[in-house]
Amino acid sequence: MSDTALGTGPDALDETLGRLSKKAGVRAAIALDRASGAILKTSGQVGSIRTTKTSGSSVPAVGPFANNEGNANSTNHDQGAEELASMVWNFVSTAGSLVQELDTEDEVKLLRLRTKKQEFVIVPDAKYLLIVVHDTSA
Amino acid sequence: MQHRRDEILAKKAKLAELKRQRELRASQAARPGISPSEIIAPTPNRADNRREIETLIDSLVRESRPVSVSTGAHSPARFGSRPNSVLSAGELSENVSESAGPADGQVVASRPQILSTVPFKTVYECPPSPIKEVYSYSKGVQTTEEWTTPRKSRALSESEGEEPPVTASPSKRLSRRERDREEELRENIRKEIEEELRAAKELVTDGVLKPSAAANFPARTLNDDELRAVTQSDDFMNFIDRSTKVIEKALDQEYDILTDYTLQVHDVDDDDEQSGNTGGKGRRKVREIAQFYDERWSKKRMVSSIDFSPKFPELLLASYTKNPTAPHDPDGIVQVWNLHLHDRPEFVFHAQSDILTAKFSPFHPNLIIGGAYSGQVLLWDTRARSTPVQKTPLTGNGHTHPVYCVDIVGTQNANNIISSSTDGAVCGWSVDMLAQPQEAMTLAAPLPSKTEDLSPTCIAFPQADPTFFLVGSEEGTIYPCHRYDRAGAKAGVDTRVSYRGHAAPVMSVSFHPARGPVDLGDLVLSASLDWSVKLWKVRAPAATSAVSGGVAAGGAGLVGGGGGGLGGAGGGLLEPSVAPLLDFVREDVVYDAAWSPVKPGVFGLVDGAGWLELWDITVETEEPVSRISPSQRKDGRTMLSKSLNKLAWEPSEGKRLATGGIDGAVTVFEVGPDLGGKEGLKNEEWTSVKKLVNRLEAGGGVDGGV
Repeated sequence: MSDTALGTGPDALDETLGRLSKKAGVRAAIALDRASGAILKTSGQVGSIRTTKTSGSSVPAVGPFANNEGNANSTNHDQGAEELASMVWNFVSTAGSLVQELDTEDEVKLLRLRTKKQEFVIVPDAKYLLIVVHDTSA
Repeated sequence: MQHRRDEILAKKAKLAELKRQRELRASQAARPGISPSEIIAPTPNRADNRREIETLIDSLVRESRPVSVSTGAHSPARFGSRPNSVLSAGELSENVSESAGPADGQVVASRPQILSTVPFKTVYECPPSPIKEVYSYSKGVQTTEEWTTPRKSRALSESEGEEPPVTASPSKRLSRRERDREEELRENIRKEIEEELRAAKELVTDGVLKPSAAANFPARTLNDDELRAVTQSDDFMNFIDRSTKVIEKALDQEYDILTDYTLQVHDVDDDDEQSGNTGGKGRRKVREIAQFYDERWSKKRMVSSIDFSPKFPELLLASYTKNPTAPHDPDGIVQVWNLHLHDRPEFVFHAQSDILTAKFSPFHPNLIIGGAYSGQVLLWDTRARSTPVQKTPLTGNGHTHPVYCVDIVGTQNANNIISSSTDGAVCGWSVDMLAQPQEAMTLAAPLPSKTEDLSPTCIAFPQADPTFFLVGSEEGTIYPCHRYDRAGAKAGVDTRVSYRGHAAPVMSVSFHPARGPVDLGDLVLSASLDWSVKLWKVRAPAATSAVSGGVAAGGAGLVGGGGGGLGGAGGGLLEPSVAPLLDFVREDVVYDAAWSPVKPGVFGLVDGAGWLELWDITVETEEPVSRISPSQRKDGRTMLSKSLNKLAWEPSEGKRLATGGIDGAVTVFEVGPDLGGKEGLKNEEWTSVKKLVNRLEAGGGVDGGV
């Protein structure tokens, strides 16, 4: 219920996401801004999701990112989150454009991407995105 | 007429003469500018041409405007007398009839500029101006839309219809600066789109996500303040709330749709016996399927009522009393649980006082009604926020004592909320208006009792009649009541008959859901703190009026067309009291008992020891056919935490039932095919219940017959 979340502000938010990521098999939860793709909230082991690193440490080489990263002096965790966020964001945008081209009045409501090892459950909204990654074997 | 025409012709000849002169002059002295009058007037190439046109126009004018012509005929006299005015009129050339022109030509023939206006004025019917006048107005409309609309969509729409509107409407309202800014914005947006398009193209050509594409993401990183602003916005909270619900439901889905049965032998089918909490055997098995408890909202509260949604079989609500250790939380809450969402409630509703009872409206799937310890009747809407959308005021009209019972009776189009409080007040409310009761009455115990006070603990309406109900009282008697005056009985407690048998407060009264080939709607179960559940046969309100003499209850006609009168029950007593048909004596206080909504002989009960018992009176009347106790929560209290308060059946299928009690957990059970579910229903079940009832009646009371 929205009021319960509103009642106690950020604590409730953390609690909700925390509880979600404590569920069996859930590895991470990330909230993004739909328009810009900026990361709003993360919880769980975001960094562990991406096991394959892109060849030749692409992350530090990335243009505007490199600056930000340098300034923020961010950890590996954040890099992982941002990489994952950008990949998911692009995936959702592609899916969104597919739906838009089929029917301009339609929109994506839920994306479940099952892989051999895990599942991404993505809820896109007008302004935000929520991604939860969980193991399917569990 | 002929004379007039001649005159005009003469004038015209003169005019033509003058014109020719003027044209000559004009050709000689080249003029720099062209006045608008020339634009309209046909450019004269040749004088003859011009004259022809003149005549043509003149004829036309004469035909179409006879009035003006006639005034022109009268004019000479006027011109003679008032030449000045004519002159001025000619100069102004505003509201002059065509006759003024020729007059001018006559009087001041030497003035060329006046002459030039003449043909212009004569050509009266030609379009006044080639430049269309544009009427424009502005109108403001207030909208609730925030001004920060999605940027991309706006950019697109504007870039499409960009230029035309600007040129078409010069938009004098906009100041230059605003226009500049708009221009600038547009430029920015255009750039952005181009950039985006380029990026998209790159993405398409490259196929895979490349560092260059990643560089485009995110548009920018938010700084801490922005991040805080976003994450604390209502929008974001709402989104998180909604989306996590969806995701949790997705995760709670037990069946894996990708299961490949060809791959390996599953060792999952452990015969249900070891898995989870079960009771009973075979087709009468009871299995626990879910337990609902919210760390934040269920903690240290007691379940005060449970109800399944009549519209959505997966939803059930539970109302709770206050949490004494959390004085800042609302005292009363109602949680709506979803069988597909295990860890959190679908909705939480609040009230300022303990909620003692709550119920889904059977006529509107979004509405929930509740009764509070404060005496208020509350109405929540699942589409609204968690506070009640309506509640009764805390004033004298209505209830001033705790409301332990609410119900909605009537039909889809005409229904009322009925509420009863412990002081005996029973009120009827309109769902639309809770400011004051539509009807109100106070129940008083009939005369032979020691006091007049009657404390209702529960009320129950039969399926068929919304004007008649039973009230279970604290003293143990069950009274029939009427909402309105009717023949032989006043509104309120029917004094001619009462159902005595319980020695302690009655905790629940349940009418049989009459949905079968045989009408069993007069069978009533009552649960009491005297460690028993009793089965009653209630007389229809009409039948009770038949014994208005109140001499012998035994003579009363019976409902449902069953055979025979009531046996010895109360036959010798002057007091018109009815004894129970059957007594189910238990080992603990019984808090609730309810008929199965589909199986005619099945009912469930919950007791103070924490047992849920299922009975089938067509099979056995001495013992339950199966029993089960909810699994204990690990972190729950160990002492005095088992007692179960309430029981509710899922009404459409009758396969599931929910219990709740002192530890705040709501547990849902599923029963085997002999105890619930619509498949395999046989007509014999109804007839065997009917036969049993008849036998009990013939046997004359409690201990005969079985």
